[in-house]
Amino acid sequence: MATMARPSRVKDEPRRPNIASADIQLPAVRDYEQVDREISATLHPTVAWFIGLGVAILFLIIGAAAWMYQIYTGLGVAGYNPPVMWGVYIITFVFWVGIGHAGTLISAILYLFRAGFRTTIYRCAEAMTVFAVMTAGLFPILHLGRPWKFFWLIPYPNWRYIWPQFKSPLVWDVFAILTYLTVSSTFLYIGLIPDIATLRDREKNPVRRRIFGVLSLGWRNSDREWRHFARAYLFLAAFSTPLVLSVHSVVSFDFAMALTPGWHTTIFPPYFVAGAIFSGIGMVFTIIIPLRKWFGLKHYVTINHLDAAAKLCLFTSLVVGCAYMTEWFVAWFSGNEFEKNFFANRIWGQWWWASAILYTCNMVLPLTLFKQSWRRNPTWLFILSFFINLGMWFERFVIVVPSLSHEFEPWQWAGYSPTWVDFAILAGSFGWFSMWFLLFIKQLPVIAISEVKEIVPPKLRQTHDHGIDSAGRHLEFEPSTPGEAD
Amino acid sequence: MSGVIGAFRELDSAVYAVEALKKERLGEITVYTPTPRHEIEHAVNAPQSPVRRFTLFGGLFGATCGYWIAIWASDYWPLVVGGKPVASWVPYTIFGFEVMVLFGALATVLGLFINSRVPRLTMTVGYDGRFSGGDYGVWVACPPEKYAQAQSLLREHGAVEVRDER
Repeated sequence: MATMARPSRVKDEPRRPNIASADIQLPAVRDYEQVDREISATLHPTVAWFIGLGVAILFLIIGAAAWMYQIYTGLGVAGYNPPVMWGVYIITFVFWVGIGHAGTLISAILYLFRAGFRTTIYRCAEAMTVFAVMTAGLFPILHLGRPWKFFWLIPYPNWRYIWPQFKSPLVWDVFAILTYLTVSSTFLYIGLIPDIATLRDREKNPVRRRIFGVLSLGWRNSDREWRHFARAYLFLAAFSTPLVLSVHSVVSFDFAMALTPGWHTTIFPPYFVAGAIFSGIGMVFTIIIPLRKWFGLKHYVTINHLDAAAKLCLFTSLVVGCAYMTEWFVAWFSGNEFEKNFFANRIWGQWWWASAILYTCNMVLPLTLFKQSWRRNPTWLFILSFFINLGMWFERFVIVVPSLSHEFEPWQWAGYSPTWVDFAILAGSFGWFSMWFLLFIKQLPVIAISEVKEIVPPKLRQTHDHGIDSAGRHLEFEPSTPGEAD
Repeated sequence: MSGVIGAFRELDSAVYAVEALKKERLGEITVYTPTPRHEIEHAVNAPQSPVRRFTLFGGLFGATCGYWIAIWASDYWPLVVGGKPVASWVPYTIFGFEVMVLFGALATVLGLFINSRVPRLTMTVGYDGRFSGGDYGVWVACPPEKYAQAQSLLREHGAVEVRDER
C-alpha cells in the first residue's frame, strides 16, 4: 500500500548522482487517468504483433512436426548416443525452468524486500515465469520414449497398487514443477484481478466487457477487498520465495543425487538457483527492452529500473562465476582422480568450445555492468541478454553432456551431437513460449495498473508537506533527470 | 441495501469524509479506491484480515498431506533396499514442503475469496466504474431518513457527485 507521506528534497541539498535505488518514482506519470489510458493502449493489436505471432506459431509448428516424427520413428532420431542418454531435451528443460525463476524473484522476493524498481517490470516477469514453466514441463515428456505414459510419475491409485518411487529425484521434480506452475499461475492471476476490473470498467465492447467481468470475479476496489488482497498477496509472495529456491534445488538433485563425476556435489542447489535467476534476468531484458520501446512505455520502465535490474544481473553473474571457480577448486582439492580428469576434459578436452562460450557469456561479458553507462544503455543490455541466454543454455549443456560422455572408465567415453530433431524441438519451444507471451500482452496489461498507481502521487485538495502539489504533481519534477526521458 | 454514495476526485477529501461519517455514526462505510492506500485503511480502521489463518491451516494441512502420501505409499508396497528404512523422512521433507506451499497458497486464495466475498455475480449498489480509474467512492449504508445528513456531509467534504441508491 502507498501513503501520502514522502520525503521532499531540501532545496539546498547537494545534487547527488542519479543512482537507481529502491525508491524509484515515475516523474513523467502525472495521474491515475494517464496510467489507465497509456497501459490500456498497449492492448490494441498491431500488424507487427500479428507478424510476431505468426513467426512464433511457425516455430511451434516446426517443433510439433519434429516431435511427431520422433514419436513415429523412435527416440533414436534425437541424437542420443549411449552413454549420453540425456541431451538437448534435459538441457532445455533445465534452461526453461531457470528462466522462470527471475520472474518469481522479481515479483515475490523483491516485493517482500520492498524494492520499488520491480513495480513496472514484475507483471512481465511473472507472465514469463508461467509460460517458461509451461514450456519446461513439456521436455520431460518429450524425453520419454513413450510420452503417453508420462502420468505414471503422478501418484494416483491404480489397479496394480503401484506408486512412484518417492525417493527418486524424478518424482521430486514432478511435485516441485507442478507446485511451481500452480502457485506461479495463481500469483499472476490474483495480481491481475484489480487490473482486469479496471479494463472491465473502461471497456466499450460488450463481449469483451463481459469476459473481463467474469475474469475480474466482480472485483469492486472496495477497502474490504484491498485489505484482504494485500494480506493474501503478501502470503503468496512469502510462499513463492522459498518455492523459487526449492524448485531449482530439486532440479539440481536430478544431477547431484547421481555418482557421475561433475554432478555429485553439494554446491549444485545454490549454484543452480543463482544460475536460474541470472538467466531469467537475461530473459527479462530480452522481453522488456523491446516492449518498453514498442509500447511507448519508456517513462514507466525507466533507465533507472533497467539500471537496478542490471545490478541484480551483475550480482547473480558474480555468484555464478564464484560457483564455477568453486567447482574447479573442489575438483582439485578433493584429490579425486576422476573428478580432476573430468574437469580437465571439460575445460581443455573435447568440450572446450562449449566451456569457452559458457565462461565468456556468463562471467566475462556481464562484468561490463560494473560501469554505470553500460548499465544504463538499453541497447547493450538487450545484446548482453542474448549472450546470457546463450551462455546459460551452454551452462546446462556443459553440465549434462561432458559428465555423461566422460564417466569413470575410458570405455564409457563417447561423443554427442544433437540432430535436426533436437534443434527443431528447441526452436519449437521458443515458438511455444513466444506465442503464449504475445497472446498475453495483447489481452491483459503488461504493467500492473493498480501497483503503478501506488507510486503515482494521488490528487489532493490541499497541499500537504510531502512534496506533492494540489494537482498531484511532484514538487521537484526534473525533466532533465538522466534516464527519465531517454 | 440502501445508502448514499459520494464520488471524490481527491484522496484527502475522501479520507476527511470517511472520518466525518464515522464521527456521526450514520452506518457502515465502504470506500472504493483505485489502489490500496494507507490513509484510507487508517480512516476506516477495519480489523486485521483473517486471511492469515487460512494460510496457516492450509500450510499445516499441506505439510501433513505431503509426508502422509509419501510414507503411506512407501509402506503400502514396501521395497527394502540395502536394509534402509522404507519410509525415510529426509527425502520426504521435499514432499512435505512442496505440498505445504501448494495447499497453503490455495488456502490463501480461498481465504481471500471468502473474506472479500468474491466471485460476485453482480455489481452491488453504490459501485461506479470510475472508482477503478482515478476517483474515490465513499458509500455509507443508512436508512432513507439519514440520506440528507449523509449527502450534506459528503458534499461538505468535496464530493463531486452524491446520490442515494437502494
